[in-house]
Amino acid sequence: MNALPRPSTIFLAAITTLVAVLLYSPLFVPIVSSFFTISQGNVDWSSPTLSTYAALAENHDILAALRTTLIVGVCTVILSVVSGTLLALYYHGRRSGRSFLQFIIFLPFLMPPIISGLALLIFFREIGLERSLLTVVIGHTVFVLAIVYRTVLMRLQSMSRTLVEASYDLGATGWQTFWRIILPNLSSAMVGGAILAFALSFDETMITILVTGTQSTLPVRLWAMMRLGFSPDINALVALILMFTVLLCVLAARFLIPRQMATERT
Amino acid sequence: MSKTGSTQPSERQLSLLVTVLAFALPVVFVLVPLAIFLVYSFFGVDQGTIVYAPTLGNYVRFFTDPIFLPVFWNTIVLCVSVAAICILLAYPAAYFLATLKGRWRYALLMLLLVPLLMSYVIKIYAIRSILGLNGFLNKALVALGILQQPSTLFVFNMNAILLTLSLLLIPFAILPIFLSLERIPQTLLRASDDLGASGWQTFLRITLPLSLPGVASAASFVFVLAIGDFLTPQMVGGISGFTFGRILYSQFGTAYNWPFGAALSVALAMVVICAILIGERFGRSRGTSL
Repeated sequence: MNALPRPSTIFLAAITTLVAVLLYSPLFVPIVSSFFTISQGNVDWSSPTLSTYAALAENHDILAALRTTLIVGVCTVILSVVSGTLLALYYHGRRSGRSFLQFIIFLPFLMPPIISGLALLIFFREIGLERSLLTVVIGHTVFVLAIVYRTVLMRLQSMSRTLVEASYDLGATGWQTFWRIILPNLSSAMVGGAILAFALSFDETMITILVTGTQSTLPVRLWAMMRLGFSPDINALVALILMFTVLLCVLAARFLIPRQMATERT
Repeated sequence: MSKTGSTQPSERQLSLLVTVLAFALPVVFVLVPLAIFLVYSFFGVDQGTIVYAPTLGNYVRFFTDPIFLPVFWNTIVLCVSVAAICILLAYPAAYFLATLKGRWRYALLMLLLVPLLMSYVIKIYAIRSILGLNGFLNKALVALGILQQPSTLFVFNMNAILLTLSLLLIPFAILPIFLSLERIPQTLLRASDDLGASGWQTFLRITLPLSLPGVASAASFVFVLAIGDFLTPQMVGGISGFTFGRILYSQFGTAYNWPFGAALSVALAMVVICAILIGERFGRSRGTSL
Protein backbone atom coordinates (compact mmCIF):
# COMPACT_ATOMS: atom_id res chain seq x y z
CA MET A 1 0.00 0.00 0.00
CA ASN A 2 1.13 3.52 -0.67
CA ALA A 3 1.68 5.99 2.09
CA LEU A 4 -1.55 7.82 2.68
CA PRO A 5 -2.19 11.48 3.30
CA ARG A 6 -2.38 12.21 7.02
CA PRO A 7 -6.09 12.86 7.65
CA SER A 8 -7.11 9.58 6.06
CA THR A 9 -4.48 7.71 8.05
CA ILE A 10 -5.88 9.18 11.24
CA PHE A 11 -9.41 8.26 10.17
CA LEU A 12 -8.38 4.67 9.39
CA ALA A 13 -6.45 4.33 12.62
CA ALA A 14 -9.46 5.64 14.53
CA ILE A 15 -11.78 3.07 12.92
CA THR A 16 -9.27 0.30 13.60
CA THR A 17 -9.07 1.34 17.24
CA LEU A 18 -12.85 1.39 17.43
CA VAL A 19 -13.00 -2.13 15.99
CA ALA A 20 -10.41 -3.34 18.49
CA VAL A 21 -12.35 -1.76 21.36
CA LEU A 22 -15.60 -3.32 20.11
CA LEU A 23 -13.95 -6.72 19.84
CA TYR A 24 -12.29 -6.61 23.22
CA SER A 25 -14.94 -4.92 25.34
CA PRO A 26 -17.01 -8.11 25.74
CA LEU A 27 -13.84 -9.85 26.94
CA PHE A 28 -12.91 -6.99 29.21
CA VAL A 29 -16.17 -7.11 31.19
CA PRO A 30 -15.74 -10.59 32.71
CA ILE A 31 -12.01 -10.07 33.34
CA VAL A 32 -12.61 -6.88 35.31
CA SER A 33 -15.45 -8.51 37.19
CA SER A 34 -13.21 -11.37 38.17
CA PHE A 35 -11.07 -9.01 40.29
CA PHE A 36 -13.63 -6.43 41.39
CA THR A 37 -17.15 -6.51 42.72
CA ILE A 38 -19.80 -5.17 40.40
CA SER A 39 -23.22 -4.18 41.65
CA GLN A 40 -25.93 -2.58 39.51
CA GLY A 41 -23.51 -2.06 36.65
CA ASN A 42 -21.08 -0.03 38.76
CA VAL A 43 -17.61 -1.35 39.35
CA ASP A 44 -16.24 -1.01 42.85
CA TRP A 45 -12.62 -0.27 41.98
CA SER A 46 -11.51 0.22 45.57
CA SER A 47 -11.17 -3.38 46.65
CA PRO A 48 -9.58 -5.85 44.27
CA THR A 49 -10.13 -9.42 45.35
CA LEU A 50 -9.20 -12.94 44.36
CA SER A 51 -12.24 -14.42 46.07
CA THR A 52 -13.84 -15.32 42.75
CA TYR A 53 -10.87 -17.54 41.98
CA ALA A 54 -11.18 -19.24 45.35
CA ALA A 55 -14.89 -19.76 44.73
CA LEU A 56 -14.11 -21.26 41.34
CA ALA A 57 -11.91 -23.92 42.92
CA GLU A 58 -14.94 -24.97 45.00
CA ASN A 59 -17.35 -25.11 42.07
CA HIS A 60 -17.32 -28.84 41.32
CA ASP A 61 -20.01 -28.58 38.70
CA ILE A 62 -17.92 -26.26 36.54
CA LEU A 63 -14.72 -28.17 37.15
CA ALA A 64 -16.40 -31.39 36.02
CA ALA A 65 -17.57 -29.64 32.85
CA LEU A 66 -14.05 -28.35 32.30
CA ARG A 67 -12.67 -31.87 32.67
CA THR A 68 -15.23 -33.18 30.18
CA THR A 69 -14.25 -30.45 27.72
CA LEU A 70 -10.59 -31.38 28.00
CA ILE A 71 -11.33 -35.08 27.47
CA VAL A 72 -13.45 -34.31 24.42
CA GLY A 73 -10.78 -31.92 23.11
CA VAL A 74 -7.97 -34.44 23.41
CA CYS A 75 -9.99 -37.24 21.78
CA THR A 76 -11.05 -34.89 18.99
CA VAL A 77 -7.47 -33.80 18.38
CA ILE A 78 -6.19 -37.37 18.20
CA LEU A 79 -8.97 -38.54 15.87
CA SER A 80 -8.89 -35.49 13.63
CA VAL A 81 -5.11 -35.30 13.31
CA VAL A 82 -4.77 -38.99 12.49
CA SER A 83 -7.62 -39.08 10.00
CA GLY A 84 -6.92 -35.60 8.61
CA THR A 85 -3.29 -36.46 7.95
CA LEU A 86 -4.17 -39.82 6.39
CA LEU A 87 -6.75 -38.16 4.17
CA ALA A 88 -4.31 -35.44 3.14
CA LEU A 89 -1.64 -38.05 2.33
CA TYR A 90 -4.18 -40.05 0.40
CA TYR A 91 -5.58 -37.21 -1.70
CA HIS A 92 -2.29 -35.44 -2.27
CA GLY A 93 -1.32 -35.90 -5.89
CA ARG A 94 -4.44 -37.93 -6.61
CA ARG A 95 -7.01 -36.57 -8.98
CA SER A 96 -9.83 -39.12 -9.20
CA GLY A 97 -12.63 -38.44 -6.77
CA ARG A 98 -10.57 -35.92 -4.86
CA SER A 99 -12.62 -32.80 -5.40
CA PHE A 100 -15.84 -34.59 -4.52
CA LEU A 101 -14.54 -36.12 -1.30
CA GLN A 102 -12.77 -32.92 -0.42
CA PHE A 103 -16.09 -31.14 -0.81
CA ILE A 104 -17.67 -33.63 1.63
CA ILE A 105 -14.90 -33.06 4.15
CA PHE A 106 -15.43 -29.31 3.97
CA LEU A 107 -19.23 -29.50 4.19
CA PRO A 108 -19.57 -29.61 8.00
CA PHE A 109 -17.26 -26.64 8.24
CA LEU A 110 -19.12 -24.61 5.61
CA MET A 111 -22.66 -25.56 6.63
CA PRO A 112 -24.18 -23.81 9.63
CA PRO A 113 -23.45 -25.90 12.74
CA ILE A 114 -27.15 -26.27 13.37
CA ILE A 115 -27.49 -28.29 10.15
CA SER A 116 -24.43 -30.49 10.80
CA GLY A 117 -25.54 -30.96 14.40
CA LEU A 118 -29.11 -31.88 13.57
CA ALA A 119 -28.03 -34.22 10.77
CA LEU A 120 -25.73 -36.03 13.21
CA LEU A 121 -28.45 -36.07 15.88
CA ILE A 122 -30.84 -37.88 13.53
CA PHE A 123 -28.05 -40.12 12.27
CA PHE A 124 -27.11 -41.23 15.80
CA ARG A 125 -30.75 -41.91 16.56
CA GLU A 126 -31.19 -43.96 13.39
CA ILE A 127 -28.15 -46.14 14.08
CA GLY A 128 -29.17 -46.45 17.72
CA LEU A 129 -26.18 -44.70 19.23
CA GLU A 130 -27.06 -43.13 22.58
CA ARG A 131 -26.09 -39.49 22.98
CA SER A 132 -22.93 -39.42 25.07
CA LEU A 133 -19.42 -38.09 25.04
CA LEU A 134 -18.72 -40.40 22.09
CA THR A 135 -21.29 -38.62 19.95
CA VAL A 136 -19.85 -35.27 21.02
CA VAL A 137 -16.37 -36.40 20.01
CA ILE A 138 -17.66 -37.61 16.63
CA GLY A 139 -19.45 -34.31 16.10
CA HIS A 140 -16.36 -32.28 16.95
CA THR A 141 -14.10 -34.45 14.81
CA VAL A 142 -16.34 -34.11 11.78
CA PHE A 143 -16.39 -30.35 12.36
CA VAL A 144 -12.64 -29.75 12.77
CA LEU A 145 -11.44 -32.37 10.29
CA ALA A 146 -11.47 -29.86 7.43
CA ILE A 147 -9.03 -27.59 9.28
CA VAL A 148 -6.49 -30.31 10.00
CA TYR A 149 -6.86 -31.79 6.52
CA ARG A 150 -6.31 -28.44 4.85
CA THR A 151 -3.35 -27.49 7.04
CA VAL A 152 -1.55 -30.76 6.35
CA LEU A 153 -2.44 -30.76 2.65
CA MET A 154 -1.04 -27.24 2.20
CA ARG A 155 2.21 -28.32 3.80
CA LEU A 156 2.36 -31.42 1.59
CA GLN A 157 1.83 -29.30 -1.49
CA SER A 158 4.59 -26.90 -0.53
CA MET A 159 6.94 -29.80 0.17
CA SER A 160 9.37 -30.36 -2.62
CA ARG A 161 8.84 -33.59 -4.59
CA THR A 162 12.58 -33.96 -4.97
CA LEU A 163 12.87 -34.85 -1.28
CA VAL A 164 10.73 -37.94 -1.74
CA GLU A 165 12.41 -38.82 -5.02
CA ALA A 166 15.86 -38.49 -3.47
CA SER A 167 14.80 -40.78 -0.66
CA TYR A 168 13.67 -43.45 -3.15
CA ASP A 169 16.82 -42.99 -5.24
CA LEU A 170 18.88 -43.64 -2.16
CA GLY A 171 17.11 -46.97 -1.76
CA ALA A 172 14.65 -46.21 1.01
CA THR A 173 11.39 -48.17 1.09
CA GLY A 174 7.99 -46.51 1.11
CA TRP A 175 7.77 -46.86 4.90
CA GLN A 176 11.24 -45.47 5.49
CA THR A 177 10.48 -42.52 3.25
CA PHE A 178 7.26 -41.95 5.11
CA TRP A 179 8.76 -42.09 8.62
CA ARG A 180 12.00 -40.31 7.90
CA ILE A 181 11.13 -37.77 5.21
CA ILE A 182 7.43 -37.08 4.95
CA LEU A 183 6.33 -37.24 8.58
CA PRO A 184 9.09 -35.00 9.98
CA ASN A 185 8.28 -32.44 7.30
CA LEU A 186 4.60 -32.53 8.21
CA SER A 187 5.04 -32.50 11.97
CA SER A 188 4.79 -28.75 12.52
CA ALA A 189 1.70 -28.53 10.30
CA MET A 190 0.19 -31.41 12.29
CA VAL A 191 0.93 -29.72 15.60
CA GLY A 192 -0.48 -26.42 14.33
CA GLY A 193 -3.58 -28.20 13.04
CA ALA A 194 -3.92 -30.01 16.35
CA ILE A 195 -3.84 -26.75 18.30
CA LEU A 196 -6.45 -25.17 16.05
CA ALA A 197 -8.59 -28.30 16.32
CA PHE A 198 -8.32 -28.21 20.10
CA ALA A 199 -9.20 -24.52 20.25
CA LEU A 200 -12.26 -25.07 18.05
CA SER A 201 -13.36 -28.11 20.02
CA PHE A 202 -12.84 -26.27 23.30
CA ASP A 203 -15.33 -23.59 22.32
CA GLU A 204 -17.72 -25.58 20.11
CA THR A 205 -21.22 -24.92 21.40
CA MET A 206 -23.91 -25.34 18.78
CA ILE A 207 -23.16 -28.85 17.55
CA THR A 208 -22.42 -29.96 21.12
CA ILE A 209 -25.78 -28.73 22.45
CA LEU A 210 -27.51 -30.89 19.84
CA VAL A 211 -25.55 -34.12 20.21
CA THR A 212 -24.57 -34.15 23.88
CA GLY A 213 -25.98 -36.55 26.41
CA THR A 214 -26.08 -36.04 30.16
CA GLN A 215 -22.45 -34.95 30.52
CA SER A 216 -22.04 -31.44 29.22
CA THR A 217 -18.93 -29.64 28.09
CA LEU A 218 -18.00 -26.26 29.48
CA PRO A 219 -19.65 -24.06 26.81
CA VAL A 220 -22.88 -26.05 27.08
CA ARG A 221 -22.75 -25.85 30.87
CA LEU A 222 -22.20 -22.09 30.68
CA TRP A 223 -25.04 -21.81 28.18
CA ALA A 224 -27.36 -23.58 30.58
CA MET A 225 -26.24 -21.37 33.48
CA MET A 226 -26.56 -18.17 31.48
CA ARG A 227 -30.36 -18.18 31.60
CA LEU A 228 -30.21 -17.77 35.36
CA GLY A 229 -27.27 -15.38 35.35
CA PHE A 230 -23.71 -16.24 36.26
CA SER A 231 -22.24 -16.49 39.70
CA PRO A 232 -19.10 -14.33 40.12
CA ASP A 233 -16.74 -17.29 40.00
CA ILE A 234 -17.63 -17.77 36.32
CA ASN A 235 -15.81 -14.52 35.62
CA ALA A 236 -12.67 -15.99 37.12
CA LEU A 237 -13.10 -19.01 34.88
CA VAL A 238 -13.51 -16.75 31.85
CA ALA A 239 -10.35 -14.84 32.67
CA LEU A 240 -8.44 -18.11 32.94
CA ILE A 241 -9.90 -19.46 29.70
CA LEU A 242 -8.99 -16.27 27.86
CA MET A 243 -5.39 -16.50 29.01
CA PHE A 244 -5.30 -20.13 27.97
CA THR A 245 -6.74 -19.28 24.54
CA VAL A 246 -4.19 -16.54 23.94
CA LEU A 247 -1.49 -19.05 24.75
CA LEU A 248 -2.98 -21.51 22.24
CA CYS A 249 -3.10 -18.80 19.55
CA VAL A 250 0.51 -17.86 20.05
CA LEU A 251 1.50 -21.53 19.86
CA ALA A 252 -0.58 -22.13 16.72
CA ALA A 253 0.97 -19.09 15.04
CA ARG A 254 4.45 -20.36 15.88
CA PHE A 255 3.83 -23.70 14.25
CA LEU A 256 1.80 -22.56 11.26
CA ILE A 257 3.69 -19.51 10.00
CA PRO A 258 6.65 -20.83 8.03
CA ARG A 259 9.99 -20.09 9.62
CA GLN A 260 11.44 -18.22 6.60
CA MET A 261 8.42 -15.92 6.45
CA ALA A 262 8.74 -15.06 10.13
CA THR A 263 12.39 -14.09 9.79
CA GLU A 264 11.78 -12.28 6.51
CA ARG A 265 9.36 -9.93 8.17
CA THR A 266 11.64 -8.89 10.99
CA MET B 1 2.38 -43.69 0.09
CA SER B 2 0.25 -45.92 -2.03
CA LYS B 3 0.79 -44.21 -5.35
CA THR B 4 4.43 -45.19 -5.59
CA GLY B 5 3.42 -48.64 -6.84
CA SER B 6 4.65 -50.79 -3.98
CA THR B 7 5.00 -54.48 -4.62
CA GLN B 8 4.99 -55.91 -1.11
CA PRO B 9 1.66 -57.55 -0.27
CA SER B 10 1.48 -56.02 3.21
CA GLU B 11 1.85 -52.56 1.77
CA ARG B 12 -0.78 -53.26 -0.83
CA GLN B 13 -3.20 -54.42 1.86
CA LEU B 14 -2.45 -51.34 3.87
CA SER B 15 -3.04 -49.08 0.91
CA LEU B 16 -6.35 -50.83 0.25
CA LEU B 17 -7.33 -50.28 3.88
CA VAL B 18 -6.34 -46.64 3.63
CA THR B 19 -8.39 -46.26 0.46
CA VAL B 20 -11.46 -47.75 2.08
CA LEU B 21 -11.01 -45.57 5.16
CA ALA B 22 -10.38 -42.46 3.09
CA PHE B 23 -13.70 -42.93 1.36
CA ALA B 24 -15.66 -44.35 4.27
CA LEU B 25 -14.91 -41.70 6.86
CA PRO B 26 -16.33 -38.66 5.11
CA VAL B 27 -19.14 -40.61 3.50
CA VAL B 28 -20.36 -42.30 6.69
CA PHE B 29 -20.08 -39.35 9.02
CA VAL B 30 -20.97 -36.48 6.71
CA LEU B 31 -22.82 -37.60 3.62
CA VAL B 32 -24.99 -40.30 5.19
CA PRO B 33 -26.23 -38.07 8.05
CA LEU B 34 -27.05 -35.28 5.61
CA ALA B 35 -28.84 -37.72 3.32
CA ILE B 36 -30.91 -39.15 6.19
CA PHE B 37 -31.66 -35.59 7.26
CA LEU B 38 -32.92 -34.77 3.77
CA VAL B 39 -35.09 -37.90 3.72
CA TYR B 40 -36.51 -36.96 7.15
CA SER B 41 -37.84 -33.73 5.70
CA PHE B 42 -40.30 -35.79 3.67
CA PHE B 43 -41.70 -37.60 6.72
CA GLY B 44 -44.55 -36.48 8.91
CA VAL B 45 -45.43 -36.48 12.60
CA ASP B 46 -48.55 -37.85 14.16
CA GLN B 47 -49.14 -37.22 17.86
CA GLY B 48 -45.51 -37.05 18.77
CA THR B 49 -44.28 -40.00 16.75
CA ILE B 50 -42.60 -39.84 13.39
CA VAL B 51 -44.57 -41.31 10.48
CA TYR B 52 -42.23 -42.89 7.96
CA ALA B 53 -44.35 -42.24 4.88
CA PRO B 54 -43.21 -39.83 2.17
CA THR B 55 -45.09 -36.55 2.10
CA LEU B 56 -44.55 -33.02 0.89
CA GLY B 57 -46.56 -31.72 3.85
CA ASN B 58 -43.62 -30.08 5.60
CA TYR B 59 -42.69 -28.02 2.57
CA VAL B 60 -46.32 -27.10 1.88
CA ARG B 61 -46.59 -25.95 5.49
CA PHE B 62 -43.43 -23.89 5.21
CA PHE B 63 -44.68 -22.05 2.12
CA THR B 64 -48.32 -21.63 3.12
CA ASP B 65 -48.25 -21.01 6.87
CA PRO B 66 -48.22 -17.22 7.45
CA ILE B 67 -45.59 -17.55 10.20
CA PHE B 68 -42.59 -19.09 8.53
CA LEU B 69 -41.94 -17.21 5.29
CA PRO B 70 -41.95 -13.73 6.94
CA VAL B 71 -39.56 -14.90 9.67
CA PHE B 72 -37.39 -16.54 7.03
CA TRP B 73 -37.31 -13.33 5.01
CA ASN B 74 -36.70 -11.12 8.07
CA THR B 75 -33.82 -13.34 9.11
CA ILE B 76 -32.24 -13.04 5.67
CA VAL B 77 -32.59 -9.25 5.83
CA LEU B 78 -31.13 -9.26 9.34
CA CYS B 79 -28.11 -11.30 8.27
CA VAL B 80 -27.51 -9.16 5.18
CA SER B 81 -27.51 -6.13 7.50
CA VAL B 82 -25.05 -7.87 9.82
CA ALA B 83 -22.79 -8.54 6.85
CA ALA B 84 -23.05 -4.89 5.77
CA ILE B 85 -22.19 -3.56 9.24
CA CYS B 86 -19.27 -5.96 9.55
CA ILE B 87 -17.86 -4.90 6.18
CA LEU B 88 -18.28 -1.19 6.87
CA LEU B 89 -16.20 -1.61 10.03
CA ALA B 90 -13.81 -4.24 8.74
CA TYR B 91 -12.84 -2.59 5.45
CA PRO B 92 -11.17 0.51 6.96
CA ALA B 93 -9.50 -1.65 9.60
CA ALA B 94 -8.20 -4.12 7.01
CA TYR B 95 -7.02 -1.23 4.84
CA PHE B 96 -5.19 0.29 7.77
CA LEU B 97 -3.50 -3.04 8.51
CA ALA B 98 -2.44 -3.36 4.89
CA THR B 99 -0.77 0.06 4.99
CA LEU B 100 1.37 -0.98 7.95
CA LYS B 101 4.84 -2.37 7.46
CA GLY B 102 6.49 -5.56 8.60
CA ARG B 103 5.86 -6.99 11.98
CA TRP B 104 3.14 -4.53 13.06
CA ARG B 105 0.88 -5.61 10.26
CA TYR B 106 0.68 -9.23 11.39
CA ALA B 107 0.74 -8.45 15.09
CA LEU B 108 -2.29 -6.17 14.70
CA LEU B 109 -4.02 -8.64 12.41
CA MET B 110 -3.54 -11.32 15.05
CA LEU B 111 -4.86 -8.94 17.71
CA LEU B 112 -8.06 -8.42 15.73
CA LEU B 113 -8.49 -12.12 14.97
CA VAL B 114 -7.78 -13.57 18.41
CA PRO B 115 -11.23 -12.70 19.86
CA LEU B 116 -12.65 -15.25 17.40
CA LEU B 117 -11.25 -18.10 19.43
CA MET B 118 -12.65 -16.85 22.70
CA SER B 119 -15.66 -18.37 24.33
CA TYR B 120 -18.72 -17.65 22.22
CA VAL B 121 -21.22 -18.05 25.05
CA ILE B 122 -19.29 -15.73 27.35
CA LYS B 123 -19.04 -13.09 24.64
CA ILE B 124 -22.80 -13.19 24.06
CA TYR B 125 -23.38 -12.88 27.79
CA ALA B 126 -20.96 -9.96 28.12
CA ILE B 127 -22.44 -8.16 25.11
CA ARG B 128 -25.89 -8.61 26.58
CA SER B 129 -24.78 -7.01 29.80
CA ILE B 130 -23.21 -4.13 27.85
CA LEU B 131 -26.41 -3.55 25.87
CA GLY B 132 -28.74 -3.95 28.84
CA LEU B 133 -30.68 -1.32 30.77
CA ASN B 134 -27.87 -0.93 33.32
CA GLY B 135 -25.23 -1.64 30.74
CA PHE B 136 -22.27 0.38 29.58
CA LEU B 137 -23.87 1.49 26.31
CA ASN B 138 -26.82 3.13 28.05
CA LYS B 139 -24.58 4.73 30.66
CA ALA B 140 -22.35 6.17 27.94
CA LEU B 141 -25.28 7.48 25.88
CA VAL B 142 -26.86 9.11 28.94
CA ALA B 143 -23.53 10.61 29.98
CA LEU B 144 -23.07 12.05 26.48
CA GLY B 145 -26.52 13.55 26.66
CA ILE B 146 -27.77 11.59 23.64
CA LEU B 147 -30.35 9.79 25.75
CA GLN B 148 -32.35 11.32 28.60
CA GLN B 149 -32.65 8.05 30.45
CA PRO B 150 -31.48 4.45 29.91
CA SER B 151 -33.33 2.79 27.07
CA THR B 152 -34.40 -0.79 26.48
CA LEU B 153 -33.90 -0.26 22.78
CA PHE B 154 -30.74 -2.36 22.63
CA VAL B 155 -31.64 -5.58 24.34
CA PHE B 156 -34.20 -8.38 23.86
CA ASN B 157 -35.24 -7.38 20.36
CA MET B 158 -34.04 -7.51 16.75
CA ASN B 159 -31.62 -4.59 17.29
CA ALA B 160 -29.88 -6.57 19.98
CA ILE B 161 -29.43 -9.54 17.65
CA LEU B 162 -28.13 -7.26 14.91
CA LEU B 163 -25.59 -5.57 17.18
CA THR B 164 -24.47 -8.73 18.93
CA LEU B 165 -23.97 -10.74 15.74
CA SER B 166 -22.07 -7.87 14.13
CA LEU B 167 -19.79 -7.59 17.12
CA LEU B 168 -19.16 -11.33 17.15
CA LEU B 169 -18.49 -11.69 13.43
CA ILE B 170 -16.32 -8.65 12.52
CA PRO B 171 -13.07 -10.69 12.53
CA PHE B 172 -14.49 -12.99 9.86
CA ALA B 173 -14.84 -9.94 7.61
CA ILE B 174 -11.41 -8.50 8.38
CA LEU B 175 -9.38 -11.51 7.28
CA PRO B 176 -10.61 -11.99 3.67
CA ILE B 177 -10.59 -8.23 2.99
CA PHE B 178 -7.07 -7.92 4.39
CA LEU B 179 -5.86 -10.84 2.27
CA SER B 180 -7.32 -9.35 -0.92
CA LEU B 181 -5.80 -5.94 -0.16
CA GLU B 182 -2.45 -7.52 0.58
CA ARG B 183 -2.47 -9.31 -2.76
CA ILE B 184 -2.76 -6.09 -4.78
CA PRO B 185 0.62 -5.57 -6.48
CA GLN B 186 2.45 -2.45 -5.33
CA THR B 187 3.43 -1.76 -8.94
CA LEU B 188 -0.18 -1.02 -9.88
CA LEU B 189 -0.48 1.59 -7.17
CA ARG B 190 2.85 3.15 -8.10
CA ALA B 191 1.88 3.18 -11.79
CA SER B 192 -1.36 4.94 -10.91
CA ASP B 193 0.57 7.44 -8.83
CA ASP B 194 3.09 8.02 -11.65
CA LEU B 195 0.29 8.65 -14.10
CA GLY B 196 -0.87 11.50 -11.93
CA ALA B 197 -3.83 10.01 -10.12
CA SER B 198 -4.59 11.39 -6.67
CA GLY B 199 -4.61 9.05 -3.69
CA TRP B 200 -8.38 9.05 -3.71
CA GLN B 201 -8.55 8.27 -7.46
CA THR B 202 -6.09 5.41 -7.00
CA PHE B 203 -8.23 4.03 -4.21
CA LEU B 204 -11.49 4.25 -6.16
CA ARG B 205 -10.15 2.94 -9.46
CA ILE B 206 -7.45 0.46 -8.45
CA THR B 207 -7.61 -0.62 -4.82
CA LEU B 208 -11.36 -0.78 -4.33
CA PRO B 209 -12.18 -2.81 -7.48
CA LEU B 210 -9.31 -5.22 -6.80
CA SER B 211 -10.37 -5.74 -3.19
CA LEU B 212 -14.02 -6.43 -4.01
CA PRO B 213 -13.46 -10.21 -4.21
CA GLY B 214 -12.33 -10.08 -0.59
CA VAL B 215 -15.41 -8.08 0.30
CA ALA B 216 -17.61 -10.68 -1.41
CA SER B 217 -15.97 -13.54 0.51
CA ALA B 218 -16.27 -11.59 3.73
CA ALA B 219 -19.96 -10.92 3.13
CA SER B 220 -20.70 -14.55 2.39
CA PHE B 221 -18.74 -15.76 5.46
CA VAL B 222 -20.51 -13.39 7.81
CA PHE B 223 -23.92 -14.03 6.29
CA VAL B 224 -23.61 -17.80 6.56
CA LEU B 225 -22.35 -17.67 10.14
CA ALA B 226 -25.07 -15.22 11.15
CA ILE B 227 -27.96 -17.11 9.61
CA GLY B 228 -26.95 -20.40 11.18
CA ASP B 229 -26.68 -18.98 14.68
CA PHE B 230 -29.45 -19.90 17.08
CA LEU B 231 -27.68 -19.17 20.37
CA THR B 232 -27.36 -15.40 19.96
CA PRO B 233 -31.02 -14.76 19.02
CA GLN B 234 -32.12 -17.04 21.84
CA MET B 235 -29.99 -15.15 24.34
CA VAL B 236 -30.40 -11.50 23.35
CA GLY B 237 -33.52 -11.61 21.18
CA GLY B 238 -36.14 -11.86 23.91
CA ILE B 239 -39.68 -12.51 22.68
CA SER B 240 -39.76 -10.11 19.73
CA GLY B 241 -36.43 -11.11 18.24
CA PHE B 242 -37.56 -14.27 16.55
CA THR B 243 -35.24 -15.66 13.89
CA PHE B 244 -35.33 -18.65 11.62
CA GLY B 245 -32.58 -20.41 13.55
CA ARG B 246 -34.68 -20.23 16.72
CA ILE B 247 -37.77 -21.66 15.03
CA LEU B 248 -35.63 -24.42 13.57
CA TYR B 249 -34.06 -25.22 16.92
CA SER B 250 -37.44 -25.27 18.65
CA GLN B 251 -38.63 -28.02 16.29
CA PHE B 252 -36.09 -30.28 17.96
CA GLY B 253 -36.92 -29.08 21.44
CA THR B 254 -40.27 -27.75 22.59
CA ALA B 255 -42.20 -28.18 19.34
CA TYR B 256 -40.75 -31.66 18.82
CA ASN B 257 -41.34 -32.02 15.12
CA TRP B 258 -38.12 -33.40 13.67
CA PRO B 259 -39.33 -33.88 10.09
CA PHE B 260 -40.59 -30.30 9.90
CA GLY B 261 -37.32 -29.11 11.44
CA ALA B 262 -35.49 -31.07 8.75
CA ALA B 263 -37.55 -29.33 6.06
CA LEU B 264 -36.73 -25.94 7.60
CA SER B 265 -33.05 -26.94 7.58
CA VAL B 266 -33.28 -27.73 3.89
CA ALA B 267 -34.64 -24.22 3.29
CA LEU B 268 -31.79 -22.80 5.39
CA ALA B 269 -29.25 -24.92 3.53
CA MET B 270 -30.55 -23.58 0.19
CA VAL B 271 -29.97 -19.99 1.29
CA VAL B 272 -26.54 -20.88 2.65
CA ILE B 273 -25.53 -22.65 -0.56
CA CYS B 274 -26.66 -19.61 -2.59
CA ALA B 275 -24.63 -17.31 -0.33
CA ILE B 276 -21.54 -19.50 -0.60
CA LEU B 277 -21.88 -19.75 -4.40
CA ILE B 278 -22.30 -15.98 -4.74
CA GLY B 279 -19.30 -15.46 -2.47
CA GLU B 280 -17.32 -17.95 -4.53
CA ARG B 281 -18.39 -16.44 -7.86
CA PHE B 282 -17.45 -12.87 -6.93
CA GLY B 283 -14.74 -13.88 -4.48
CA ARG B 284 -12.33 -14.99 -7.20
CA SER B 285 -9.66 -12.41 -7.50
CA ARG B 286 -9.08 -11.14 -11.01
CA GLY B 287 -6.07 -9.35 -12.34
CA THR B 288 -4.09 -9.33 -9.10
CA SER B 289 -1.53 -11.82 -10.32
CA LEU B 290 1.24 -10.02 -12.12
